[in-house]
Amino acid sequence: MEKQPIIEMKGIVKVYPDGTKALKGVDLTVYQGEILGLLGENGAGKTTLMKILFGMLHPTSGRILIRGKEVQFRSPSDAITHGIGMVHQHFTLVEVFDALHNIILGMEGHGLFSRIDVKKAREKLQKLMNDLNFQVPLDVPVEDLPVGVQQRIEILKMLFRDIDVLILDEPTAVLTPIEVEELFRVLRHLKEEGKTIIFISHKLNEVIELTDRVTVIRKGEVIGTVETKTATPQLLARMMVGRDVVLRIEKPPKEAGEPILKVENLSVKGDRGEKAVKSLSFEVRAGEIFGIAGVEGNGQTELIEAITGLRKPENGRVYLNNVDITGKGPRELYGLGMAHIPEDRTHMGLILEMTVTENALLGLQWKRDFQRWSGVINWRRARGHAKSLIEEFDISAPGTEAPVKSLSGGNQQKLIVAREVSKAPVLIVAAQPTRGVDVASTEYIRNYLVKLRNEGKAVLLVSADLDEVVQLSDRMGIIYEGEFMGVVKPEEVSTEEIGMMMGGIRYEEIRK
Amino acid sequence: MKKSGSEILESLNIKALIESLIAIFIGFLIGAIVLGAFGYDPLSAYYWLFQGALGSTYGIASTLRYATPIMLTALTFALGTRTGIFNIGAEGSFYFGAIAAVIFTNIWANMWFGLAMGMLLGALWALPAAALKVYRGVHEVISTIMLNWIGWFFVLWLIVGPYANPNDPNKTIRIPIEARLPNIGYGLSIAIIIAVIAAALTYFLLWHTTLGFSMRASGMNPKAARYGGMSPKKAVMWSFILGGLLSGLGGAMKIMGEGPTYAISQGGANIYGFGFDGIGVSLVGRNHPLGIILAALFFGMLRAGTALMQAEAQVPLEIIKVIQGIIVITVAIPGLYDLIKKVARRGAA
Amino acid sequence: MDLGAIISILFMSLMAMVPIVLTSVGAAWSERAGVVSIGYEGVLLMSAFFGAIFAELTGHATIGLLGGILVGILLGMLHGAITVYLKGDHVIPGIGINLLALGVVPFGILAYWGTAGQHQLPLNAQMWHISTQYGELSPMVGVTIVIAVVTWWVLFKTPLGLRVRSVGENPEAADALGINVEKYRFWSTVYGHALAGLGGAYMSVDWLGLVHKTMSGGRGFIALANMVFSGWNPLVSLIGGWLFGFFDALASWLAPKHIIPGQFILMLPYIMTLIIVAGIIGKARPPKWDGRPYKRE
Repeated sequence: MEKQPIIEMKGIVKVYPDGTKALKGVDLTVYQGEILGLLGENGAGKTTLMKILFGMLHPTSGRILIRGKEVQFRSPSDAITHGIGMVHQHFTLVEVFDALHNIILGMEGHGLFSRIDVKKAREKLQKLMNDLNFQVPLDVPVEDLPVGVQQRIEILKMLFRDIDVLILDEPTAVLTPIEVEELFRVLRHLKEEGKTIIFISHKLNEVIELTDRVTVIRKGEVIGTVETKTATPQLLARMMVGRDVVLRIEKPPKEAGEPILKVENLSVKGDRGEKAVKSLSFEVRAGEIFGIAGVEGNGQTELIEAITGLRKPENGRVYLNNVDITGKGPRELYGLGMAHIPEDRTHMGLILEMTVTENALLGLQWKRDFQRWSGVINWRRARGHAKSLIEEFDISAPGTEAPVKSLSGGNQQKLIVAREVSKAPVLIVAAQPTRGVDVASTEYIRNYLVKLRNEGKAVLLVSADLDEVVQLSDRMGIIYEGEFMGVVKPEEVSTEEIGMMMGGIRYEEIRK
Repeated sequence: MKKSGSEILESLNIKALIESLIAIFIGFLIGAIVLGAFGYDPLSAYYWLFQGALGSTYGIASTLRYATPIMLTALTFALGTRTGIFNIGAEGSFYFGAIAAVIFTNIWANMWFGLAMGMLLGALWALPAAALKVYRGVHEVISTIMLNWIGWFFVLWLIVGPYANPNDPNKTIRIPIEARLPNIGYGLSIAIIIAVIAAALTYFLLWHTTLGFSMRASGMNPKAARYGGMSPKKAVMWSFILGGLLSGLGGAMKIMGEGPTYAISQGGANIYGFGFDGIGVSLVGRNHPLGIILAALFFGMLRAGTALMQAEAQVPLEIIKVIQGIIVITVAIPGLYDLIKKVARRGAA
Repeated sequence: MDLGAIISILFMSLMAMVPIVLTSVGAAWSERAGVVSIGYEGVLLMSAFFGAIFAELTGHATIGLLGGILVGILLGMLHGAITVYLKGDHVIPGIGINLLALGVVPFGILAYWGTAGQHQLPLNAQMWHISTQYGELSPMVGVTIVIAVVTWWVLFKTPLGLRVRSVGENPEAADALGINVEKYRFWSTVYGHALAGLGGAYMSVDWLGLVHKTMSGGRGFIALANMVFSGWNPLVSLIGGWLFGFFDALASWLAPKHIIPGQFILMLPYIMTLIIVAGIIGKARPPKWDGRPYKRE
């Protein structure tokens, strides 16, 4: 059977208002009934390209053809009408609605003022779920459902609209290995039903396992497309990164010293009162990077917030240099030698509307160096401080008095790292330190964390990027639902074993 | 401190100030249409308005006198917005500042004591809204409006009840002569100087102190402020307290500095509405102390001109409140400057 | 207190609840769609004034009520244009509308009727009431109850309501499914203000039969408090609004009795509002995108 292209994207260029060239003339062909992998690093332009295909963004130039006919999408609903659906990395569900109302929204049937026929909708959905061979609860508010189920609701929402092409943006990032298997089963089933799937990922193994063809994107350009059966991880990695090796970190062996951070039986509640961290104990020693790996949402955020003084723990104790810091606020902790690179750069680490100087001072404002007299800020010194951070960390910024939102993501993150290190800490808590950061800055930040470790500081690293944790850590704990499934040395376990622990199987059981 | 002049301007935002000027123009324009619709002559009304405000030394003194209370209540609102809250409670604190001046100067006839007690009661009246916001999450717009009404009836009761003037029972007892603010001519007291100093201190607080830093940080991003070791709750508390203090000062000076009666008049007429007007002043002044000084002078000018406008053009003085409302609505249009440029370009093409 | 007095207060509270309930129901709808407004106080005042003019000009109170709705629609369009289409702040335009009302109404009373601060409506411009031995009732009480119930039903049972709620909870999700977020938000704002406009006109041409420059008396804000207290639910707003109306009525009933100074009685509705709001908020959960402009990437 001759393969028919269902989607052709030709010469797609996207320039953002700030001048960033996200896509530099991309051509992409998708054939009917295939699973196409779209592979690339963070910031390569995969998501931008697919948002254009889904009508969320408008290309600066270029053409899109569906079944040979040129189309112009003004909005996602245009794309849906043409049979294209997308499931985003961050779900677009109305949290307080149940699955049924989320799915039928906009397609309720009948007039706007007539009563919604819930019974009929339920029957229709039940039939769809039976056909697909997967189920979701229809009556529970989606905010009360696990992410894996929410994702299935998103997929159902698209299929309910009779789409032919389903785009999934990094769908496995939030899933456990078991949930990933389930997702892959559903996707293969959809392919058998004749649907076309575009699978965006930066994970080589998943792409190789699932797809028929792979198109690799790097820095806004297509590097090439290969048949998956002929591809090897090495080949794809080279295409993706443009070099032979993935980031390699020089890390000399080092004997860890005294424990700096001690966490004892720490229990923390989440925002909705659930037990997010359950009686966790560990320590981080001087000259050691202790990594915490795990699927996001397994208590990492609450754990970090409890350690850094942003959340009151329910139970247990935390010690920094043998001082009990349980329940102490950030201001005190900074005084005791803690530094914190927060996971949410734009909402917590920085105040985007404020200047570089003001952001460089955040958390340091009480230091005597920056006070003219008690309570009055010495802005001249603060500016000097900002200037020295910019120079030392090679941050590209228009100036110390420019608003920090005018900096690129990578430079914003470098500013945070620079500021936190300038606190002369004994412990650095680094959460997702390289998320959404360009390759060069990522390398810089990772090397810097190793440098701090070599200087004898204690580093607590929390990251959803498994490679990052494995490469950087001297020891690592794998967290699942607020508990460690195991605390291991990265070189002593296989990736499969880590994956099993991330899915909730204890290390002892694996090694049995 | 030699660079401080440019620093103040930097924090002000010139484009926003131009937008305020456009808004003022639109306010006058629509005001003229309204006047015309009700059969008044807008040109003559505006002529006498400006004549009354700026045409004589007395007019200029009136402008300054009217600018004083709204400058202070505007600072209250600005402290709020900079901390991320809409503090509409200046009105209530103003009442309490005024009544405190009447009560306490009659206990000890000392100007500084009167001012201090005005500030204290103004701040105290702001406390419930602060506490409700911080501890109960009650939206400050609702709580401050309710407190304004409660305060209003309470002060009305004090005016006709315990502090009524036995010789003129519709007014309160007077401020003793020894406690009145010194007069600097044409009915103008030193209140205006104190108000400008208060604006300067507010600027210094917001942009040069750690407390101001944490107030502004909390206003823009409370999560980041907490991360930076600040306490957004404390910032909100201080914002309410200092805001109440400023309006309390305004209320006290209104009674202690303005003759001839140096008392709260019938039905509280001479203490009503300054808190609400201050909101407009603050918005037009872009919630910045320097902008507020300018905007207060502008609105003070409008108010000062109404006497002559009423007498010569027979136009009700409330028209300036109409103009003020339109100006504030216009200021609320985001990107007004760019919008007008776009429309102008389209018109030219 | 005898039974007659109780029925009398009940009647008064039903009359007093109308503007609060209508405004609460309108505000709840608007906020369910994600648009906050604090300008209802000004809407009440201005529509009371213009509604009275309409009623006097035509000699029909009903036209006056429609005039009030028209004022509400226009102000809602103004607020909607600024917040929904121009992505402006949701609070500041309301401040402007309130300040405008403080100017327009006293100016208008003076310029139009030539009296200072207050104007009594002629009888032919006032709504007819059902008279009983315990007091009067307006047909608007019934209309208000119907509006609250119907609004609730549409909001929670129909596709229209589902879409309105979706743009207030997660406009991104709604947008992706082809729901025109701006259109739904804009017209929800207009509806909210239109109901407040009806409530305002009711105060002048129906309930009180007069126009006074401060006659809204904080009811626009009390209505917002009631909306929060009612969990953004029109049906609960009806009950909550009656409660606030009750305090209002109680104050009016107590006032002539001179038990305590009149000023303290007049404080009652505001104090009760503050207490109720302080007790309830924290549990109340506003729509997730309430008050936040939505801009597509």
